[in-house]
Amino acid sequence: MLSVLSYGRIVARAVLGGLSQTDGRDYKLVTASCGFGKDFRKGILKKGMCYGDDACFIARHRSADVLGVADGVGGWRDYGVDPSQFSETLMRTCERLVKEGRFTPSSPVGILTSAYYELLQNKVPLLGSSTACIVVLDRRSHQIHACNLGDSGFLVVRGGEVIHRSDEQQHYFNTPFQLSIAPPGAEGSVLSDSPEMADKSSFDVQLGDIILTATDGLFDNMPDYMILQELKKLKNTNYDSVQQTARSIAEQAHELAYDPNYMSPFAQFACDNGLNVRGGKPDDITVLLSIVAEYTD
Amino acid sequence: MLTLLGVCSFVFVHWRRCRSGSLNDAAFHCGSTALPIVTKMEAELDQYAKEVLDFSSHYGSEGSMSYTMWNAAGAPSVFPSSGDFTHTAVFRTYGHWWEDEHAKQSFSRTPRSFHSRDFLEVAFEEQVFPTAITVLETYHPGAIAQILACSFNPYAENHPTDIRWEVLWAGEPTKVASPQARLFCPAIRQVSFATNLLRLEVNSSLLDYYTELDAIVLRGVRNHVSSITTPLIIANTTPNKDSDVLSKDVNMSNGYFDKLPYELIQLIVSHLAVPDLCRLAQSCKLLQRHCYDPLQYIQLSLQPYWFSLNDLSLVHLQSRCAVLQRLNMSWTGNRGAVTASGFCSFIKACGATLVCLELSCCHFLNEVCLEVIAQTCVSLQELDLASCDRLEPQAFNHIAKLARLRRLVLYRTKIEQTAILSILTFCTELRHLNLGSCVMIEDYDVVVSVLSARCRSLVSLDLWRCRSLSERGLAELVSGCGVLEELDLGWSSALHSGSALHGGSASFRHAARRLSRLRRLYLTANRNICDADLEHIATHCPALEHLDILGTRLVSPAALRRLLQSCPRLRLLDVSFCSQIDMRTVQELSTLFPNVSIKKSFTQ
Repeated sequence: MLSVLSYGRIVARAVLGGLSQTDGRDYKLVTASCGFGKDFRKGILKKGMCYGDDACFIARHRSADVLGVADGVGGWRDYGVDPSQFSETLMRTCERLVKEGRFTPSSPVGILTSAYYELLQNKVPLLGSSTACIVVLDRRSHQIHACNLGDSGFLVVRGGEVIHRSDEQQHYFNTPFQLSIAPPGAEGSVLSDSPEMADKSSFDVQLGDIILTATDGLFDNMPDYMILQELKKLKNTNYDSVQQTARSIAEQAHELAYDPNYMSPFAQFACDNGLNVRGGKPDDITVLLSIVAEYTD
Repeated sequence: MLTLLGVCSFVFVHWRRCRSGSLNDAAFHCGSTALPIVTKMEAELDQYAKEVLDFSSHYGSEGSMSYTMWNAAGAPSVFPSSGDFTHTAVFRTYGHWWEDEHAKQSFSRTPRSFHSRDFLEVAFEEQVFPTAITVLETYHPGAIAQILACSFNPYAENHPTDIRWEVLWAGEPTKVASPQARLFCPAIRQVSFATNLLRLEVNSSLLDYYTELDAIVLRGVRNHVSSITTPLIIANTTPNKDSDVLSKDVNMSNGYFDKLPYELIQLIVSHLAVPDLCRLAQSCKLLQRHCYDPLQYIQLSLQPYWFSLNDLSLVHLQSRCAVLQRLNMSWTGNRGAVTASGFCSFIKACGATLVCLELSCCHFLNEVCLEVIAQTCVSLQELDLASCDRLEPQAFNHIAKLARLRRLVLYRTKIEQTAILSILTFCTELRHLNLGSCVMIEDYDVVVSVLSARCRSLVSLDLWRCRSLSERGLAELVSGCGVLEELDLGWSSALHSGSALHGGSASFRHAARRLSRLRRLYLTANRNICDADLEHIATHCPALEHLDILGTRLVSPAALRRLLQSCPRLRLLDVSFCSQIDMRTVQELSTLFPNVSIKKSFTQ
């Protein structure tokens, strides 16, 4: 009985969708993740969605699909703090907020702000800092709402071209904006940006649009044309092919990162800043590849 | 279906645990015993709690999702892991550490079977006849004292006037040796109505640390299976039967009772619980006179009868409470049982002599009630409004008229800054003040400065989770309130950011120097408590009994040892999540100082 009803609803929705050319269908994101930790052993030992000091999450709620990446700032290792703890806890908290519906799709900054607040509410005295990028697809309105703090980011690709990209936020070279919890007494001397500082953007998407969300480990090692080349191989919207593409992008970036002779975007940027650097940038790499598809129950 | 399977497997695990003897309490029946009888007739439905409707206290801050009661709703997120996790529902206190021996004497006549200290009400999607209740306790289990079901459907459009609560299970609080997670699935009584509203009452007093609840599963059938004989233990004990049946035989002799001195019968009667007193009053004219004697109602605790108290019971009690001094109506009167007007007329009749009034979680209260209290109860010294979170902010303005107040509890209320400032200005005799989790107060520094100027005899102050108290405020507080014995600054987030310079916070040291009579000090999650602070506390606070420094990275084992040596009266020391203090240090110190209960929580 129930299945008849639900099929009926799908049919009705399809008919209605066909009748009115304005798209009444709901969208969803088919998202796959792949990544590599800088330190191989660590990446393997970590459970869940964590690659080195990077962390990410993919969550869904009734009204929206949400995903995010965070890059734990490695400098904390010198203070005896595991940088991945901060980024991972931040992403896990975001995931929980989404799953419990404590967010509005139009405000990804809200997710970031509440997640940061929850970190301070933890009994465990967390220390560390992290960049963060959160992308929300509002299923009904077909809009992407995104926020980006720091040098992670996302690309939106339609018909083989980048139609939208997030802005990078850096205080100075290789020092991105970051959320942080500083050790007591050092609050003034540690870079700490409020979630409100995040770069916000909203735009419409269509079926088949590809959204690539990644940490700087990808963008520093792979220029746009190479990414687009890989994305061309993505033909359909099923999870396996998305997963495959995500993997091949991550693998390629990982190889380039350890190529000493390759002139990576990072090296290029360093040269522009007056530093003589060659080769890839060995870093943790996290890739979340999503494609906009029609929502089906 | 999947969740059903999941829960079945949980139950199976639990059953195996029962068999292996890790749980030896007879009260824990495995759900599987009750299972086969009903499954034959109709499929059972398993539901996780949909929503948390009401509770008396919680550890987390309002608007957060860490350690708050709202986490009891939904599917489990921690189980079967054990540990101290943010995802769970945690009550505000545990053990006997927060009991206030000098501020709050317990009420006489409290029945021995009433153990509840805190409660939690959860609603489920669909009404069922419950066959099993499973509570997933993920940390320090054993607190649940009572589980009740209500006939009221919170999601229904039309509300019935007759609301019934029935006890599904009741037990003694237990001390479970292990903090490990368990499924608590007691054998429950069957009730004659379908329910989707459950109430868990807890008593954590025997536990070693905070109990944490992950999820609650209500299993039941949609339709009434068989004619269930309802073994109702709770008689509807409304003390409301005025007996004029006996009034005809006025001249009957009372036998030996006539020879007993009046005071002696009074003494005997004074040992009865309130419902028994009311029943005895119906037996004969003589005993009615004794049971209606206002001296029997100098103190009256109606909290144990929260489920049956209504306007009518108040009307009947009114005539007996001529000299009522202490009244406890906490938890009573919700869902329309007691109305604001009923309460007001009771207070108008009996409130003049009141000294102590406990009204925690009384959601019938409104501004008029507070106005009536302020006008009538001129000699009121203690007022408890904890967790009256639906009481409108302007209602609190009336409290300022109660100039003789000595104890005021406003935990989890919506009091605003102007109201608390006027209270502090006029109620200068305050000894005990609880302003924990009062989210509407914007600037605690201002509140505290008025406090230190006006209420200099303050003995205990609870500022749990006050967000805006800064170091300047703390300095001002200790300059005025020098006789403070208890100070709770737990989770005061502004105290540990900003002005602190290298080497810790001077204000804590200053506070320690000034507050030499300090017995209880809670510095929970003040991340910059350091060795130097502890040294000052050790030197200047010899009377210290409780200290909580959870979640600081800066305290070393050596400083802890010095503190333990110089505070001989120390009984509770919480060093959970202090990254320099490992389990071995805690064990060593525990053997060296056996009188001190040293707490070290874990997340794994």
